[in-house]
Amino acid sequence: MKYLAKFSLAAAFSLASMTASAADIKVGSVAGVTGPIAELVAPILAGRNLAAEHVNAQGGLLQGDTMKMVVADSACDPKAGVDAGGKVVNIEQVVAIVGASCSGATNGMVQSVTIPAGVVSVSDSATAPSITDLKDNDLVYRVAPSDSYQGRALASHVLASGIKKVAVTYATDDYNAGLAEVFAREFKNMGGTVTANQAHEPKKASYRGELATLAKGGPEALALFAYYGSSGITIIRNSIENGLFGKFYAADGMFDKSVIEQIGADVLRGNIDISQSSSDYDDVSYKLFAAAISAKGVNPKAPYAAHGYDATFLMALAIEKAGSADRGKIAAALRSVSKGPGEVIRPGEWAKAKKLISEGKDVNYEGATGIVDFDENGDVSGIYGINTIGADGNWQTKLLK
Amino acid sequence: MIEFANFYLIPGILLGSIYALGAIGITLTFGILRFANFAHGESMTLGAYISFTLVQMTGLHPLMVMPISMVLTIVVLLFIDRYFYRPFRKSHAIMLVMASFGMMLMIRSVIQFFWGVQVKTILPGIQMPIVFFDTLRLSPKHIMIIISAIVLMLAVHFLLSRTKIGKAMRAMADSPELARLTGIDTEHVIRTTWVVGGALGVASGVFLAIDTHVETMMGFNLLLPMFASAILGGIGRPYGAMAGGLIIGLTEELSSYPWIGTEPLLNPGYKAGIAFIIMVGMLIWRPTGLFKGKV
Repeated sequence: MKYLAKFSLAAAFSLASMTASAADIKVGSVAGVTGPIAELVAPILAGRNLAAEHVNAQGGLLQGDTMKMVVADSACDPKAGVDAGGKVVNIEQVVAIVGASCSGATNGMVQSVTIPAGVVSVSDSATAPSITDLKDNDLVYRVAPSDSYQGRALASHVLASGIKKVAVTYATDDYNAGLAEVFAREFKNMGGTVTANQAHEPKKASYRGELATLAKGGPEALALFAYYGSSGITIIRNSIENGLFGKFYAADGMFDKSVIEQIGADVLRGNIDISQSSSDYDDVSYKLFAAAISAKGVNPKAPYAAHGYDATFLMALAIEKAGSADRGKIAAALRSVSKGPGEVIRPGEWAKAKKLISEGKDVNYEGATGIVDFDENGDVSGIYGINTIGADGNWQTKLLK
Repeated sequence: MIEFANFYLIPGILLGSIYALGAIGITLTFGILRFANFAHGESMTLGAYISFTLVQMTGLHPLMVMPISMVLTIVVLLFIDRYFYRPFRKSHAIMLVMASFGMMLMIRSVIQFFWGVQVKTILPGIQMPIVFFDTLRLSPKHIMIIISAIVLMLAVHFLLSRTKIGKAMRAMADSPELARLTGIDTEHVIRTTWVVGGALGVASGVFLAIDTHVETMMGFNLLLPMFASAILGGIGRPYGAMAGGLIIGLTEELSSYPWIGTEPLLNPGYKAGIAFIIMVGMLIWRPTGLFKGKV
């Protein structure tokens, strides 16, 4: 009898604590808050938080629960990615994860933490082709298109601008190495010449030696695959100061204002083209997102901010569709909310989605970045833009069609 | 040949001077306070950030404001020593090493809190090099850094060999017990060690900032090559640290010169491994280093 009393007391307590904690549903928000792309991450986090805000303002998750984004810093580094994943999965006990930001951090986090733990993750900015082939038990998704597409888009843009011979250099990490490989292969297939293709170690004080070797063989431009904060800016500075390269092609890891601020708009104007995963700015979904985030004082065209919104909104839909904050059920529901059949849901339309799901109907999210339909690898296809420096000294985006 | 000087030799000397200045601080703390100071890289970062702020406020050249940032950084270091390291003075060395590791994380977080994590630049824009004899390219900022580094190293030499406190420092590095017996004020020597190590660390951080940019991981990224320099030169030997720094800097840069054929001898992606290899090799075959340091 005594045992029974104790048992029922304990049960009552745990029940009470369950209903109390059910008011918050924690979703991990893993991002490179510090590290070489810190500036890029701030608008991405703003995008994620805006989606959570929309959810919470329009009825919240499930029984009116709050979607709580728990931020952890993956520092754009595989080791820090594992730590951040461990923190949100094991300590914070999140039901699912949005992130991580960089491909290396994402690879580390999913392989060591989230796949073994059975937690589903949607990255908004990990683009390395290697993530496609992960043995992930259908747990790793991303709304950022794979760099197999970006490498090809950039290669054809380089050739289209009349450059036939390039030297390629890339930082030794998953994102940059993967992208460089695709770019070099596609560039050669399209008839271009790669005079040299060399890795470089990020975070060094100087790259003069590497650049001197790369400049041999008469390349017309440097295809630079690096994060701006760990080697990209230094390489551009060393190249220009030593007269080794004057023209640069780069990908979204370099797309930040600090490149212009540190090197100078006048030196770079007309000499740097940066590809970037972009959105169709005339699309109705994008416009809904852009209006909402502009109201927060965040530039809607900031790289991957729209992806951050879409990843978080999709995760909220998956939780709602799963009908409970159960890790396994959320993973199973994610793909179905991303694509048809079902009624189209656009950014900000949480109340509508919630009502449809409660009526047992299917929904199909079409986000700020495009139709975001997850394929069997958890990937989406993408749209790219090319950024150049405009007359006002800011980046100007032109869509690649 | 001229390419060798422009793109390998001069950057090597430059990088070597930066390593050397940082390594002196590490080797002095190791010799006199008997622990590997992991927070040394962070004092470099702090110095660079303080200089950055002073440059923003005054508009002066970073070298002009460097003495002020040295003083401010040293004040911080002395405060840390008094309240964080001194209570551990009598404990086992590993406690101090761990304390300095914690200090490293704390200083870095404080820097990130106040200045943010964005990459900043202390001298914005592009500075074109001066071309000598039509071929030799020397950037004014590099000439300035190398000359300043030489001046600072000469100052350290003068301090250690000609002044009373310098001799006391060397005595304490050789044998702390004997130094205490001869009446040397050990706490005074320890404070001086922080002053000298801190000032050189700030100089090294500011030079690196002038050559590249200011960011919160800049000092930490130099920690490994600086430790390698200190070990190569012989732990506790300031002259060894200078030589070690130059050798590591030069080896790193020269390793990717196309010595044979047209390809780099070593893929530049592995440059950072050079310092590691030298450090491990020295520890195995000659742990006392070039200048017969402590084991």
